[in-house]
Amino acid sequence: MSQPVLSVENAAVHFRSRGGFLRKAGPALKAVDGVTLSVQPGETLGLVGESGCGKSTLANAILGLVPLVGGTITVAGREVRSDDAESLRAIRSDAQMVFQDPALSLNPRLSVGAAIGEPLQVRGLAKGAALRDRVAALLKAVGLEADHASRFPHAFSGGQRQRIVIARALALQPRLVICDEPVSALDVSVRAQILNLLVDLQRDTGMSYLFVSHDLSVVRHIADRVAVMYLGRIVEIATMAVLFGKPRHPYTQALLLAAPEPDPVRQRAKTRRILEGELPSASNLPPGCAFNTRCPIATEICRKDAPLLVARKDGAMVACHHAED
Amino acid sequence: MNAVQNLRAWLARTPTSIIVMGSLLIAFVVVAVFAPLLAPFDPSRQSLILRLRPPGSAGPQGMTFLLGTDDLGRDLLSRVIYGARASMFVAVASVSVSLLIGTALGMLAGWRRGWVEIVIMRFVDVMLSIPAILLAVLAVAVAGPGFQTLILVLGLTRWPRYARVAYAQTLQVATLPYIRAAELAGASATRLLLRHVLPNIAGPLLVVATAEFGLMILFEAGLSFLGLGIQPPTPSWGTIMSAGRQYIERAWWLTVFPGGCLFLLVLSVNVLGDWVRDRLDPRARTRG
Repeated sequence: MSQPVLSVENAAVHFRSRGGFLRKAGPALKAVDGVTLSVQPGETLGLVGESGCGKSTLANAILGLVPLVGGTITVAGREVRSDDAESLRAIRSDAQMVFQDPALSLNPRLSVGAAIGEPLQVRGLAKGAALRDRVAALLKAVGLEADHASRFPHAFSGGQRQRIVIARALALQPRLVICDEPVSALDVSVRAQILNLLVDLQRDTGMSYLFVSHDLSVVRHIADRVAVMYLGRIVEIATMAVLFGKPRHPYTQALLLAAPEPDPVRQRAKTRRILEGELPSASNLPPGCAFNTRCPIATEICRKDAPLLVARKDGAMVACHHAED
Repeated sequence: MNAVQNLRAWLARTPTSIIVMGSLLIAFVVVAVFAPLLAPFDPSRQSLILRLRPPGSAGPQGMTFLLGTDDLGRDLLSRVIYGARASMFVAVASVSVSLLIGTALGMLAGWRRGWVEIVIMRFVDVMLSIPAILLAVLAVAVAGPGFQTLILVLGLTRWPRYARVAYAQTLQVATLPYIRAAELAGASATRLLLRHVLPNIAGPLLVVATAEFGLMILFEAGLSFLGLGIQPPTPSWGTIMSAGRQYIERAWWLTVFPGGCLFLLVLSVNVLGDWVRDRLDPRARTRG
């Protein structure tokens, strides 16, 4: 197997509320706690989990936007160090990001051309006519017109803005694009267009995606493999077919059951199992398996020992004491 | 020909109020700049025989005191014309100084956070708690009264308002994804602040600046009234009004004319400021 584009090993990101005058520092909030995963060239890894599980924090950590407290993250063979501006610059030309809300991820005072051209311009990679040509080519690649470059973001619809954001992410020809909920702010009718655009761009350029989403139906459409996250940890990683065909972790099973089925007959036939209890606070995790407070099959050992992510025969990796093989 | 057409098109789509207020502001600026050419009399020539003449009175050599004379027999129109110079210069200079200082410090506090934020914003609180008049007395005692002292005092006491606004706006903008995107693009901190943050916080700052512009003229008047600002015989609207205050029952024109000018100037600056803020927003600029 070739060198992975992204490899995350045992990464941990903790947030601590700042102490101050007459105020004690709070307990660490373990947003990401011991995550290990990798993305191969040309592959799409879906990262799913409910809100607050640390998906976006992990995405930010990969680009050096938040510091790690433990573990390592390597992008295209280069270790991410959030305090090393020089190497971060290099890493950010290999890995770029597409954000959730296209209305907020474009500067309203900057023309579309200036926004797309900014990565090239500030790195001194192109200027003048060459920059204009490059921007025009990027606009065409995402299905927009070259003369859109002089307009401002407000003149575009949500889907078009997301295309602009994608064009900006592609400007440096990255090997990895982190898509942080790229379609959840879009109308359902536009989602498929953007997802298809991402698929087409991947086919043309051979880049990899880390596709962060809470929506299984979206991930199902685009991902090769899926990682399921719960409270800062990966509970299961498997290929699409295995994960959807034979989910092993009780949390994955609950997620799949909660996703609505397009066919009403099958939807009615589904046995519903709604998770009980509240999501525990990430700053006060239960001992043992983080899922034990809501797990239908938890036993004594789950309340004592945190399960490790163990590989199964078909390549799936599951972190559960009781999951079948 | 084309320029004329462009101008006509621009006039057609610009609201009448903006054209009126814009012309007014231009008129004030022209009057201030060309004061020596426009004033009918020497603004400091006294004549005790002609004191407190009402508007329209006959003056020497067949000339008319259009706005009357003051308590020392000086032509009020000439003094108001020269006063526009002093008042507008002080207002523009002190607003520029405080806008610059306040915006820079406020943005720095909102961007860097941490101890920078604590030091700057607590200093802002301290500045806001010091009465400006006291500081002015102190500054005048040290540096002596005059234009520079006045501008320095006003500029250095009024910046906290801008700092507060710039700070709050920067906090809000700094967390938006487009700032993160620019950071990922490789933009330097200077570029992030000047190209991504500043244009997006400029609107509210402009509104504060236009409101402050009027206040600065009033402050100048107040400080001059206390003898801490512009020194007689140099006329400013503030000094004319404060001198005329004693004669308000006998000579209403001494306060009404400079006061009216002040009112119109502040009004035009405020209306135009709002309009410029809206124009700066690309969302409102649908037809380029």
